[in-house]
Amino acid sequence: MTAHRQITRNDADAIKPLPIRLTVNGEISDHLVPPRTQLAELLRDRLHLTATHLACEQGVCGACTVMVDGRPVRSCLTFAADCDGIEVETLEGWQGDELMDRLRAAFTRNHALQCGFCTPGMLATARDLVERLDTPDEARIRNELSGNLCRCTGYVGIVGAIREVIEERDALRIPPKSPPALPRIAAQGFAPFTARADEVASAAPAALGETTSENGWTIVRRKVTLDHPPKAVWTHFRDLPSVARCLPGADLSETDGKTFAGHVGVRFGPISARFEGAGEFTADDATQSGQVTGRGKDRGGQSNVEGQLAFTVHEGETPATSQVDVSFRFRIEGVLGQFNRPELVNGLVDYILGEFVANCNAVLSGGEIRESKGVSAWAVLRAVIMGFFRRKG
Amino acid sequence: MKPAIFDHLHPTTTQDALKALAMGGKAMGGGQSLGPMLNLRLARPDSVVGLSAIPGMTDIREERGKIILGAGVTHARIEDNDCAIDLPPMLRHVARGIAYRAVRNRGTVGGSIAHADPAADWISAMTALDAELVLQDGAGKQRRIAVAGFMLGAYRTQLAPGEIITSVEIRSQMRDAHWGYYKICRKVGEFADAIGALVIHPSSRFIRLVAGATGAQPLILTQLGAEIAASAQRPREQAIRDALGTNLPGLDPVKLHLMTTALDRCIQKVIPA
Ligand SMILES: Cc1cc2nc3c(=O)[nH]c(=O)nc-3n(C[C@H](O)[C@H](O)[C@H](O)COP(=O)(O)OP(=O)(O)OC[C@H]3O[C@@H](n4cnc5c(N)ncnc54)[C@H](O)[C@@H]3O)c2cc1C
Ligand code: FES
Ligand code: FES
Repeated sequence: MTAHRQITRNDADAIKPLPIRLTVNGEISDHLVPPRTQLAELLRDRLHLTATHLACEQGVCGACTVMVDGRPVRSCLTFAADCDGIEVETLEGWQGDELMDRLRAAFTRNHALQCGFCTPGMLATARDLVERLDTPDEARIRNELSGNLCRCTGYVGIVGAIREVIEERDALRIPPKSPPALPRIAAQGFAPFTARADEVASAAPAALGETTSENGWTIVRRKVTLDHPPKAVWTHFRDLPSVARCLPGADLSETDGKTFAGHVGVRFGPISARFEGAGEFTADDATQSGQVTGRGKDRGGQSNVEGQLAFTVHEGETPATSQVDVSFRFRIEGVLGQFNRPELVNGLVDYILGEFVANCNAVLSGGEIRESKGVSAWAVLRAVIMGFFRRKG
Repeated sequence: MKPAIFDHLHPTTTQDALKALAMGGKAMGGGQSLGPMLNLRLARPDSVVGLSAIPGMTDIREERGKIILGAGVTHARIEDNDCAIDLPPMLRHVARGIAYRAVRNRGTVGGSIAHADPAADWISAMTALDAELVLQDGAGKQRRIAVAGFMLGAYRTQLAPGEIITSVEIRSQMRDAHWGYYKICRKVGEFADAIGALVIHPSSRFIRLVAGATGAQPLILTQLGAEIAASAQRPREQAIRDALGTNLPGLDPVKLHLMTTALDRCIQKVIPA
């Protein structure tokens, strides 16, 4: 293997381009590709095969679909460095390919394209379907086409074209490459039995609260219990820096107690982001309730987050404990927005509150904040929650 | 968008791969989840460590009463039963429902489980099938861990830093299991809004009913499962709703309805009306 180098962001030159040889539309070519080169980029920018379209770059739209070794793949999600030795077929190719010739004719006959943006990917997918499916079943074809978005034709012509070519293939006695059929099993029941004890305990999430969404805002309400009396908890909570310290990854760079600026580092699966922002804080001693509003942007400004966190401290079940009613309202716009699914938020909020409560309990007991192993797991939510901690100045 | 710069390594041994990961590299299976994040620059690893060239990663075999899927086996190969042994029908059914064929041609079973998206299919299906993972760390130590319990929450697993999944193992008996799998999505190939999975293997007294796409780890409904085994009857919809309500308090009513429906329909596949 190549020896690992520690890469700093401005020594792109230090990363060696990798040599690859590939066959595109029957022609062999050699390339030196920097590791971040996508197959789509190689096809379009180096080989000038611009029929392969790029749109979503997330695998959703299918416009970039090409055939690699006879199978459709997303060229936006395939790195050129992984392509040494492969054969690629793009719309410009398939010369003399019987099924593709028939598909092109059938697409024309059925008015299966208008603007044509989706067409290269549609034809690659269609080529796979007419080769693979054993019957021209419309429902199956429509299912399989769900990974190719067409904004113009409404699929009627495309589906019709594919069905026709499957029928033509059958007439030509070209056998389908369909895999062995899945056995169809009818529901058949079974004789009652005593289940062996399932060793796996169902994780019972302790969350008390709800998550809803409204006009793009996600609203989370939770009740959490702290092992300290309300007075102590309130003293802790009305001091912004001490609360911020309990939120792993968060850092207040400046604050006068009422307004603040800062940042928060986020890791969420393979995602890492850093949000910068500012906000305001108010606390009301009479009602023991406080509110933080904030707004932030991630590095590169690809996502904006804004939100509001409100909390009220009550006595818990015993005077020695407190119950804190927490409510978050937030909105994420931009690329991170897609991770703002309410049910994801739900699970994460509970995890984060768990860490936060543990930290608050530790601090209130005069101890130190646990070095959060959460830093690796702290999620977008951490950013989101910290979103509340910042708002335009 | 083009990803931020990274180095791309193609180690051919597990040791080399683990060494590269220990130095901060990011593992890549099929790149079908990591790729979008790189393209969006949400992920900016210094190096990407491709795992597919490691021996055994793409094997499918059967040994000692177990079906062993290399972590790098693609969804499409499972869908097509593209191997020398017969795969349990449930695996093939689940594989076909993942994303789109072009994505299935590259996405891997190990990558999907490591990624631990709550709405993904394998994590729920493999939990229901009582599958085990084989993990390997940089010191060359192997450990086994049940898929049930492997996921800790959204995108969080028991995978230690620098550890990889090398294979997923299922008891061969599962070939004969009664099974039901039902997912509800807004659009074919999307991540699920709700997943119901049921596996019953009466002769080993095994039953597992799983609610997936909970937003966190799959939920095993142990009590309801035991009741289904003891009665061999479909539970009433209300019983499913209650079981979910008890285990996932505060669930949004729409989500609760979708999850109830998914479970009800997966049970219907096993137990006739
Ligand atoms: C448009 C689209 C729709 C999708 N729809 C669905 C769907 O309906 N259902 C579904 O389940 N999935 C869906 N997916 C996800 C898809 O199935 C991915 O293939 C899969 O989740 C990730 O597998 P991968 O091999 O591509 O992993 P990668 O993208 O390569 O890796 C994902 C993560 O896992 C880690 N990783 C990979 N392999 C290993 C390993 N062996 N050991 C340790 N860590 C590893 C990586 O470091 C990374 O963090 C969809 C994807 C797309 C693009
Ligand atoms: S650009 Fe590749 S799938 Fe949309
Ligand atoms: S023809 Fe315009 S997008 Fe399909």
